[in-house]
Amino acid sequence: MFPLGADPRADLILPRHHVTDPTSPPTLAQRAWRAALRSPQLGLLLVLFVLATALTLAAGSHVDPQSGRMINNFLNQYTLIQMATDASAFAIMGVGATLVIIAGGIDLSVGAIYALAGVVMAMVLRAAGPLPPGLTLVLGLGTCLAVSLLAGLANGTMVIGLGVHPFIITLGTMWILRGIAFVVSRAESILVPASLTAVAKAPLGLGTALYPVPLLGMLAVTAAGGIYLSRTVMGRHVFAVGGNAEASRFSGLNVPRITLGVFVLSGLTAGFAAFLGAAFYGSATSSDANGYELYVIASAVVGGASLSGGKGSAISAMLGAVLIVTMRQAIRTLHLDQNYEWIIIGTALIIAVVLDQRGAKLLTERLARDA
Amino acid sequence: MPEPRVRFRGVTKRFPGMVALRDVSFDVAPGSCHAICGENGAGKSTLGRILAGVHRADEGGVEIDGAVVRFASPRDALAAGVAMVHQELAFCDNLTVADNLCLGRLPRRFGIIDERALRQCALDLLATTGAQIDPSRLMGTLSVAEQQLVQIAAAVGEGARVIIFDEPTSSLGDAEAERLYALMRALRGRGVTQLYVSHRMPEIFALCDTVTVLRDGQHVATQPVQGLTEAALVRQMIGRELGDYLPTHTAAPRGDERLRVERFSSPGRFEDVSFAVHAGEVVGLAGLVGAGRSEIARALFGLDPSVTGDVFVRRTRAVLASPRDALRLGMGFVPEDRKKQGLVLGLCARENATLPTLSRFARGGWVNRRAEHAAAASSFSRVALRAGGESAASSLSGGNQQKVVLAKWLTADSELLILDEPTRGVDVGAKAELHAWIDQRAAAGAAILLISSELPELLALASRILVLREGRLRGELSRTQASQDALLRLMAGLG
Repeated sequence: MFPLGADPRADLILPRHHVTDPTSPPTLAQRAWRAALRSPQLGLLLVLFVLATALTLAAGSHVDPQSGRMINNFLNQYTLIQMATDASAFAIMGVGATLVIIAGGIDLSVGAIYALAGVVMAMVLRAAGPLPPGLTLVLGLGTCLAVSLLAGLANGTMVIGLGVHPFIITLGTMWILRGIAFVVSRAESILVPASLTAVAKAPLGLGTALYPVPLLGMLAVTAAGGIYLSRTVMGRHVFAVGGNAEASRFSGLNVPRITLGVFVLSGLTAGFAAFLGAAFYGSATSSDANGYELYVIASAVVGGASLSGGKGSAISAMLGAVLIVTMRQAIRTLHLDQNYEWIIIGTALIIAVVLDQRGAKLLTERLARDA
Repeated sequence: MPEPRVRFRGVTKRFPGMVALRDVSFDVAPGSCHAICGENGAGKSTLGRILAGVHRADEGGVEIDGAVVRFASPRDALAAGVAMVHQELAFCDNLTVADNLCLGRLPRRFGIIDERALRQCALDLLATTGAQIDPSRLMGTLSVAEQQLVQIAAAVGEGARVIIFDEPTSSLGDAEAERLYALMRALRGRGVTQLYVSHRMPEIFALCDTVTVLRDGQHVATQPVQGLTEAALVRQMIGRELGDYLPTHTAAPRGDERLRVERFSSPGRFEDVSFAVHAGEVVGLAGLVGAGRSEIARALFGLDPSVTGDVFVRRTRAVLASPRDALRLGMGFVPEDRKKQGLVLGLCARENATLPTLSRFARGGWVNRRAEHAAAASSFSRVALRAGGESAASSLSGGNQQKVVLAKWLTADSELLILDEPTRGVDVGAKAELHAWIDQRAAAGAAILLISSELPELLALASRILVLREGRLRGELSRTQASQDALLRLMAGLG
């Protein structure tokens, strides 16, 4: 290494992930292939690929009444888009949940925030009467985000201020917020203006009955979450706090503010999911997204987020949501008994997490051997 | 020598990023009190834990009375008559002393716990150690000394023939330590073999008949204590003469005052402490464990809310309510426990090095990765990190981990460094590099407050040494006045 003092060649000793032969730079395809092999999502992608292939082979096909062509019962655009729509709510909130989990917390209240945000938006729009479509969109989205921001702030403030474990706090707010949604809506199902549904179901150039907006929303939130975690100061601090809150404090990080931040962001993802959901289905009730918090946490955890903090990824959380939805779809496509859904998903969740932990343990042992 | 009670045969143990023990072999005679000593990180506690079934050896093994044993858990070890008394006491704080003592074999009548028999059983066990402890007290309400006695009682009660004491006196007062010594002598009279893990010379010479020295995980010597001198033992522990083990001190000119504390007090920790640190100076802080050294360091870095007194940084009154305040004033802190407080082990070396200062390499919250990588690489080359910046902090050796913590404050350009045991658990080579680094930082104008339990380290590096005892400043020795003897006398209060 270099002696003490600033090294003029600092640029040359930047750490590299792998050594490349300078005489033959790898082609783009080679680099993509290597990146895929190193990717932490490799395992999940493989599982998804195997599952999708098996489903495609097992699903059989039927004749499309319009075109007269044979269509696979699983691998067709309608089923895939439908699955993406189903997955979008879990994935969007899963990105938020991943932030909280990386920071070492947990948020059980996202389903309730979803319901409250949806109900309040529907009521605000009903009270506002007919508005131009653009204004409806802004008011609706703004209401959802404002409600969910307040809910996230409440969660975060209580976690910091009361010194109670986030599990308890958000278990409490889960019931409180859903209760508020129930009371203010009087348990009615409230319609949202058709102009919102028109946006959420915009075909964007695809054929009829193909609605890509939830899919795009999911991809956008995942990309934003991924960039937030890997490229921003706040994102790095989230990993640090979840990895070791004490060392983070010793490094001068504002740990309470970071904790508050992840709960606010988790709330906001629920608000955004609520906006998309209510707009897409055309109504909101206080029982919307009932039990979603568990699917959301399952998505994050299947995606490799560690409940002890410090580990997780936005893309993996999205893939986790897609995997769960694919398993649910498998039950439908293969005409299995729907009653087995929970048993299958529960089993798969445990298997996924065990495999993930075993993998981490193997890695640690290898590091120990190499020492 | 009779048939050994315990025989270590080629014991090797690896942890991620380091080899804790390398091919260690020696014998422990029955009924002896056998000291295992060495510097921090020499592997002595690991050896004790392997014997007690907490860790398993990767290679080699342990024989007891000539039979090879492989303990899968402390329970297995206890069944074979091996028990350990250590700091991280393995008790259920929420249960009573009696419950803890008899946990594995609670007396029952018709399936219901027989409270009378339980109490009697606990009293009998406690009597073996002469401990006056009410068995119905909750474990969590006992002092450390009392908990140790309960641990010893449990060990003796289980019929332990071998008891390992891992630094048992490190958090005991003098009177409590004396009682422990008496108990150990009594145990020896009953034929119990004792392994005594410690680096405290007086204890080793007073209690033990045989001593084994470990250095950097390797066996150096096993020899009778009789006829051995302290100097010879220290030489074995550090592997060379004190003189050539430490770097030459650069006498930097004393610059401006960087830090001054006045009437610094924190209830129960330290009282009325006043001192100053100037640029270009390494001020040593010496004292026994519990004298208040680390507590002062924590308070200076804004981690003690109950502290009173005045702090001046660069002659300006400073409010240090949180580490962020300290950071803003140009302070850097290398804490005592680098794994718990110094590093986020899940992040890589680079991410740790830029953790406090990441926003300097960012615009609008957006990290400029080139700038971040360049700053980390520059800091790493200046501390001579012998590992890649992208390696996980958890995979680095102790020395490299400490270098990452130092790099963190280099990246932050800290001019006032508080170093709490900066070379603890670091191998000899890295230690010399860290010493040279500290010396050069001071020569370059940094003000450094150095806390160390290793007197040679303080003597070699410090411009002057402040001595603490029981939370109060008891004296200050200049570089010329300071000697190991003078320091020890002040630290122990021998006038």
